[in-house]
Amino acid sequence: MAELLATPPAWPTILLERAGAADPTDLDVAVRAGTFDGLRRSIRELGPTGTIATIAAAGLRGRGGAGFPTADKWRVAARTDAPRRYVVANGYGADPAAGTDRYLMEHDPFTVVEGTAIAAFAVGATEAIIAVRAEAAETIRRLEAAIGAAEEAGFLGFDVLGSGHDLTMTVRTVQGAYMLGEETVLLKALEGKRGQPEQRPPHPAERGLNDMPTVVNNVQTLAAVPWIIRRGAEAFAAVGAGHARGTILVQVRTPAGDGIAEVPLGTPLREIVALGGSLPRGRSVKALLIGGPSGGLLPPDLLDTPYDFEPLRAAGAHIGSGSLVVADDRACVVDLARLLTRFCASEACGKTIPCRIGTRRLVEIADRVIDGRPRPTDTTLITDLSADIVASALCDHERLTTFPLASAMRYFRSELDDHLLRSSCPAGVCHPIAVATGAATYGRP
Amino acid sequence: MTDLISRPDAPQPTMAPETLAERLLDTQAPQRPLSTPRIRIEVDGRVVEGFEGQTILEVCRDNGIEIPTLCYEPKLPGFGACRMCVVEVEGEEHPPISCSRTCEPDMKVQTQTEELRRLRRTNLELIFSDHNAYCLPPCQNKCPSHIDIPGFLRANAEADWRESSRIFKRTIPFPSILGRVCPAPCEEHCRRDEVDEAIAIRDSHRYAGDQVLKSMLDDGVDPPLPFERQAPSGRRAAVIGSGPAGMAAAYYLLLTGHDVTVFERDAAPGGMLRYGIPQYRLPKVEVLEAEYESVTRLGGRIVCNAALGRDFTLDDLTNQGFDAVVVAIGCYDTNRLGIPGEDAAECIDGLEYLRTATLGLPYPDHVGKRVVVIGGGFTSMDCSRTSVRQGAQEVTLVYRRDMKDMPAANEVHEAIEEGVTAIFQAGPVRVITDKDGNVTGVEFIRMVMGARDASGRRRPEPAPGTEFTIPCDRVLLAIGQGPELDWLEQPGNEGPEMSKQWRLKADAVTFETGRPGVFGSGDVRIGAATVVQAIAEGRRAAYAVDAYLKGFDLTAIRTRQTLAEPQPEFLSIVPFTSEIKESRYRMRALEAEERNHSYIEYELPYTPEEAVAESTRCLQCTCEAIGFCDLRRLGIEYGTTLQTLEPQHHQGAGYRSVTENRFTGINHDYIRDDSHAFILREPSRCIDCGRCAQVCAEVVGAACYDFMRIGFDTLVTTPLDMSLNDTPCVSCGRCAETCPTGALMPKPRVLQKYEVDESRCILCGICVDACPYDALRDGSDIELADTSRESPMIDLMAIAAVDRETEVTYIRRERDWAARAAAEGRFVDTARLLPVLPATVAGLPGNGHGNGNGHGHAHGNDHHGGTAVAPAPRE
Repeated sequence: MAELLATPPAWPTILLERAGAADPTDLDVAVRAGTFDGLRRSIRELGPTGTIATIAAAGLRGRGGAGFPTADKWRVAARTDAPRRYVVANGYGADPAAGTDRYLMEHDPFTVVEGTAIAAFAVGATEAIIAVRAEAAETIRRLEAAIGAAEEAGFLGFDVLGSGHDLTMTVRTVQGAYMLGEETVLLKALEGKRGQPEQRPPHPAERGLNDMPTVVNNVQTLAAVPWIIRRGAEAFAAVGAGHARGTILVQVRTPAGDGIAEVPLGTPLREIVALGGSLPRGRSVKALLIGGPSGGLLPPDLLDTPYDFEPLRAAGAHIGSGSLVVADDRACVVDLARLLTRFCASEACGKTIPCRIGTRRLVEIADRVIDGRPRPTDTTLITDLSADIVASALCDHERLTTFPLASAMRYFRSELDDHLLRSSCPAGVCHPIAVATGAATYGRP
Repeated sequence: MTDLISRPDAPQPTMAPETLAERLLDTQAPQRPLSTPRIRIEVDGRVVEGFEGQTILEVCRDNGIEIPTLCYEPKLPGFGACRMCVVEVEGEEHPPISCSRTCEPDMKVQTQTEELRRLRRTNLELIFSDHNAYCLPPCQNKCPSHIDIPGFLRANAEADWRESSRIFKRTIPFPSILGRVCPAPCEEHCRRDEVDEAIAIRDSHRYAGDQVLKSMLDDGVDPPLPFERQAPSGRRAAVIGSGPAGMAAAYYLLLTGHDVTVFERDAAPGGMLRYGIPQYRLPKVEVLEAEYESVTRLGGRIVCNAALGRDFTLDDLTNQGFDAVVVAIGCYDTNRLGIPGEDAAECIDGLEYLRTATLGLPYPDHVGKRVVVIGGGFTSMDCSRTSVRQGAQEVTLVYRRDMKDMPAANEVHEAIEEGVTAIFQAGPVRVITDKDGNVTGVEFIRMVMGARDASGRRRPEPAPGTEFTIPCDRVLLAIGQGPELDWLEQPGNEGPEMSKQWRLKADAVTFETGRPGVFGSGDVRIGAATVVQAIAEGRRAAYAVDAYLKGFDLTAIRTRQTLAEPQPEFLSIVPFTSEIKESRYRMRALEAEERNHSYIEYELPYTPEEAVAESTRCLQCTCEAIGFCDLRRLGIEYGTTLQTLEPQHHQGAGYRSVTENRFTGINHDYIRDDSHAFILREPSRCIDCGRCAQVCAEVVGAACYDFMRIGFDTLVTTPLDMSLNDTPCVSCGRCAETCPTGALMPKPRVLQKYEVDESRCILCGICVDACPYDALRDGSDIELADTSRESPMIDLMAIAAVDRETEVTYIRRERDWAARAAAEGRFVDTARLLPVLPATVAGLPGNGHGNGNGHGHAHGNDHHGGTAVAPAPRE
């Protein structure tokens, strides 16, 4: 289990306020610390419309990577006429390298449960599902314990807190591929079908699980909700710089160390990188991989970019899974980009042509470049194919798969040209033909 | 903020209702409007109307605006896998897909921008880069006329010569002529060659065509028509020239309902077929005239002794009321060598020589002459072989390139067998004449092969110092021809122009010349070519003229022509290795000594058995979905199909060039599954659109298919790739119906014909219940199954009249079979033989009654009925 990194005292803690409790599933301790005050306030004082208005005023945006305004999603789901509504807390945590969602659910399951319950109350959902990876046994145990305790205490189940509102909450395990992090794919999996994305619109908030309006929120988004209700929208809106409000969990990995940190949105990348400790002597930062396997590779001169949805997207990366990997000068960016593209391409669901074949062709181009047998048109091909995939994509996975190679082209063109034109790898990682033949004949007469 | 949100179960401010009526009105459920409201959207600058809730695609299709789709299934909601139906909607960053995007009023949609076409093209290229399949069989692709070769060979294999001929006539009206004179480019590419030897495609259609001619001449049966003849249009077309191009144009124009008159310069129709091809290759009366009768039987008139420029002008034709004119006058102007001494009297134009010779007249003073023929085409071959037959003392053929570069390379062996001396890689320098102007010899120079030219052949270059002389008395020039275009200058023929290459200038697709209503087709447009090319020209010109006469926009037929005459492209071909080897049936020919003085056709036709056996060798390697394949249609439309037939070199293990587009890389090679009785699965042709999976799950309810595996290896297939037989398949065929390519097909050969053994039918009716297509039905009196799709209704009287096979005839047939097997030395397993009845019952062994069922009945009293038990010795 990843450890928590020390953050500057000035940074507020919203999501991990209660992390560090001796027994995270002890309801009494949690309630004394203020858990379920938010649900109570939402039901007794704000009502559904008031709750949504508060979240809107707080400016909470989805932590799943896309940054969609949470209140808008809830509003659409609440407005859509339907016999039943669902809330799905997405705790799948697709990125195998990021343990942020899991850390949150294990260390404060009650906040996740409470946030989900508030969302369900606000949109009028009677069923809430927390979707978790099947292999995260400890997470499942703690969540189920928390749900059981909350149900016994009347925070969930029949007639929640005397509001007349019923809420069944279950933990559903899903097992499958990387793609399950995408919301429509997750809903398909929950329906018991093959996980493949659906064309949007209609968004799941209009027609989702079993064709009913469904709010799909990341667990971090939902965990921020009780805090907002308790402390007020203004308090939340005061946190963070730039457009985005609040905090987010970041999995920082550097050659010096790794861990999870709660970071206010809008913090410059330099400060987040610093959390991971200083690099070994003589090493320098070469690239930042931001956003998980489908993230972008940013050069060190962009270290002042704020960690925020729009600035990162403009720079060619994205928040994604909340992972931030620092590669030092021993890494080959082209090799890294190839590895990431290959992972994403082989994790594709195979529904659309540009994704199934197109991303595979991107990998093949990268393979050619690295093996030292590129075609003269390969750089144009990467650009053209990436642009066409992005333009005609069905889901974000497809678009983001082009990010590693596209950002490598954008920021590390000279290193790519070394591979392309000179068949050499400056970092000494790849073995293009020129190098390989040199090695093979080394020492021979 | 609060009033923006309305939720059904949100607490509503309640007011006391005044009256019961008002309360009822308030509480009543909202009524559905009686009709769906109409909305208007703008598509490509055009305002179109649709209904609220329809998708962009539905509105466009309703209004006749075409948006390409591959994965869209009209019965089901949009799926969004193929990304072909992308459209641009004003104000949106990424183009949405029209099949699942609902219309909003006043939406502005673009369906055909450059950007969208580029996206679709990329998409198609990606599909083709993993589409390990091909469309047309190589033979059909390489035929200039794209004859449905597997189609007519299949009909041939069933000995259905009429049907075979009909299929052939869809693209070429003259199977017998072509069966004799075609250079058969198809056979060079036959895939059977990878097993043993190429199919004798040309000889096979020759046989079928001959059978049709025979029944026409002997029994007066009209030859089959490829299409139903269209109603008379009342328009008149003139065709100038009765060669292959002109007559093909006339044939297809007659079929499209126009009135056609063919004008011929010479005394008899045929053009180069009559005056350029010798009798021993193409009998004039039996074949040429008989085959041309299919045109005259359709009402085509042929006016002989009428030459353009000599007897009439284009203006005259217009004045006579012809609405369109096809100029197909061919190439008759022999090229000159441009060497000294060429003007000698004994330097004869090869065509001029052949013209006399093919009329059956001996060319003056040819006997005993030493003849040199210069050239390597079919004309030179005809000149030399005819010279042998006319008694020339010695015939020398000289060609400047190598033998393999000869256009007539196939025939040169036959010429050499007949006594022609062939010299390659030598070019003429001068014709040597004595003081009287008589030719005494030709001086040649050796050629070495230089760089390759545009045609891919090496350009011959003279090697200095290698001059040599061949003594001779007469020189025949056969170095190619050009059209005679003097008439262009005459008054009354204004309009048409000459091209830079000294041809009649006409469009390659619409065949229009510079004068409206005048079309140029055949050799006059493309220069001297093969007969099959000329016929292809004539047919395509006929389509263009038909469009012109019916008042269609000729620019619009460009697309149609491109679709009708596709140049589809191919993948490297997987060799067929599991086939049993069976070598080609060759046509026998007369011995060289026998044929070199005779004009009778020297190739001996097949026997019927040989013709059937040869056609049966065809692997039928065509894609069954051809004509129905959306992928192919879009590939042609967007120009993304492949460019080559030749197998590409492999780039390394696992790499095989499936296509030649930008994205060529690793591709899948799946195994064909033909375990199911009705549905053939060819996963290599699958494009993963998911239509079958959707239809099977949502419409049929069987859910046999779904997407399997992930990433690049995703494939729509059955669970664990099991046979369809092991799925809940109900054989309804809807998956094959919806498949946009040939990945799922109704099994054609199995569905073609069924035989029901009525002696064994117990009339249980299970077949009637099970048939998903109602191909078998219950009769009115009793449940009956039908045997053939050709005659779906059963004639009970006819069935009653047929003699049923009894146990006796059955055993008799078995015995015949055993006797035959023994006689032919085949192995007979005695354990498998039925117990044989006493000879008194079974009749004489091998008496030819075989399957006497029906046959005996038809011949009345000559034979005993099939059911008779008593033996009746024959004769």
